[in-house]
Amino acid sequence: MVTSGKALKKPPHRGGFSSKAFHWVNYLVLALCAYATLFPFVNIIAVSFSSSRAINAAEVFMWPIEFNMNAYVNLLKDGQLLVAMKNTALITLVGTALNMLFTIMAAYPLSKSRLRGRNFMLMAILFTMLFSGGLIPNFLLINSLGLVNTYWALWLPALISAYNMFVMKSFLEGLPDELEESAQIDGAGDATILWKIVLPLSKPVIAALTLFYAVGWWNSYMNVLIYIRNTDKLSLMVKLHQMIALVSPDMLRSGEGLMQTVITPEGIRAAAVVIAITPILCVYPFLQKHFIKGVLLGSVKG
Amino acid sequence: MNQHATLDAKLPESKREPSRRLFWKQVSRNRFLYMLLVPVAAYLLLFKYAPMAGEIIAFKNYRLADGIWGSPWVGFEQFGKLFSSKDFYAVLRNTLLLNLYHLIFAFPVPILLAILLNEVRIEWYKRTLQNLLYIPHFLSWIVLGSIVIALLSPSTGFVSFLMKGLGLEPIYFMADKFWWPVTFIASGIWKEAGFGTILYLAAMASIDPTLFEAAKMDGANKLRQIWHVTLPGIRSTIAILLILQVGRMMDVGFEQVYALRNPAVTSVAEVISTYVYTRGIVNLQYSYTTALGLFQSLIALILIVSVNRIIKALGERGLW
Repeated sequence: MVTSGKALKKPPHRGGFSSKAFHWVNYLVLALCAYATLFPFVNIIAVSFSSSRAINAAEVFMWPIEFNMNAYVNLLKDGQLLVAMKNTALITLVGTALNMLFTIMAAYPLSKSRLRGRNFMLMAILFTMLFSGGLIPNFLLINSLGLVNTYWALWLPALISAYNMFVMKSFLEGLPDELEESAQIDGAGDATILWKIVLPLSKPVIAALTLFYAVGWWNSYMNVLIYIRNTDKLSLMVKLHQMIALVSPDMLRSGEGLMQTVITPEGIRAAAVVIAITPILCVYPFLQKHFIKGVLLGSVKG
Repeated sequence: MNQHATLDAKLPESKREPSRRLFWKQVSRNRFLYMLLVPVAAYLLLFKYAPMAGEIIAFKNYRLADGIWGSPWVGFEQFGKLFSSKDFYAVLRNTLLLNLYHLIFAFPVPILLAILLNEVRIEWYKRTLQNLLYIPHFLSWIVLGSIVIALLSPSTGFVSFLMKGLGLEPIYFMADKFWWPVTFIASGIWKEAGFGTILYLAAMASIDPTLFEAAKMDGANKLRQIWHVTLPGIRSTIAILLILQVGRMMDVGFEQVYALRNPAVTSVAEVISTYVYTRGIVNLQYSYTTALGLFQSLIALILIVSVNRIIKALGERGLW
């Protein structure tokens, strides 16, 4: 746009003025995007450590004002959030383990093109991605199996994510056949081959899928809301939502929630949010290289 | 059998055998693989296909005491009730509108963001930005919704503090019928725009670098390079994701709405998924809400199948 005529004779080198300006603006814009993405988290952390006077005056920006940890002390004393956290840890651990077991059990055989009936199974799984039984029939099924109020109601219907299964399958298809063939010649059975050769080679995809499943379980909300009735068995997110969205002081002021008598103070709600995101933020740095791989694997064939 | 299996593994397949024997031999040779698939098939039948069959209660007047088989058939009565209710058109409109806003305002954001990220030459800066932008994707809507509500609170939120500072009257965003959808879309961008760049960045990385060199030689500045090289390079990725998005027009995620809504904005915030939950699970109108769910699933199925046809007709690789 700026120097097209001259540039034809003499190609602009990397350090041209317009190019430099472009880069600076670009870096600035992106830094602002990152700031906008992170600011809400910084703000809520700062609020959780501030005094209620400062919070009610809406003075808290990015740093705690009148630092104190009363909100956390109160939450820990109450203990409900800790129970919910323990429940969620259990849901996540068992759920993810079952997910990986069943995903591998489906993906490994289906990655073998020699297997008869393979296409039929693949179509059957693909169709579940396009059409599903819907909320109510699922609920009635779980109800008639007597699983309501047990964590099996969460785990069993979600044993395999069809999408993740396809990701795993396409990864396994990419492994060289020769490895298995030579193991076969050495007399290894199918189970040994899967355990000793295929799975160790699949570490990247296993890591990525474990991450996706585990984050899903940690964040699980809707199914817990539907299937778990005991207050002491609720997951972290349901507990959090009960504390936060249902009884907000704003609603009370605007006359929407007049029936509600308990109001959770802003500081305590902020502390609860911080407690809920801390585990994910703690493991995030170690896992970030895996999920990019996972997403890209999925896009190759989905 | 076992001998056959080991023999077969060692020797190349003989084609002289009768096909039926060959079939059983193959099955037996792969019996470990089939053994793995048996629980998978059982899972699919019980937890995926049985609920599909359960959709027949949309044509019945289901009562828990009577069970699926004992409840009386009513034909299309539930659908008649549905299509003549005002609620249906309200939740359908809200669902489609929120999706339309998403398509217009949220869909292009990851493309823009990816273009900007792709121009960053300092590797550590780029990686850091990416990792920061991906974070909200891994947090639940309940958490993000709580933060949004706190931030926008007219009394204690930072945004209203800012507005007061600028001499503006604070707005109760979450209870306003205009601002609620805006907040809904903006929070969707906050959660997914960063993560959405991954596929675009991968597509950009596969663009032949000589194309950029050639464009530079021709005197194209950055903007022209982006317009003439980068964008065409990710065209098929954009097309597929756009069409997929259209295929999801009937679905607004339950959790995002549930985390952000409040009684003041029900008229714009009630979507199909939340309505099915409230009427079905909470108010026990099983058949009626199953009819709505079935209607939604069928439209979604038609959408996604036609979308796949379109992708293939355009010469791109289909979704299946």
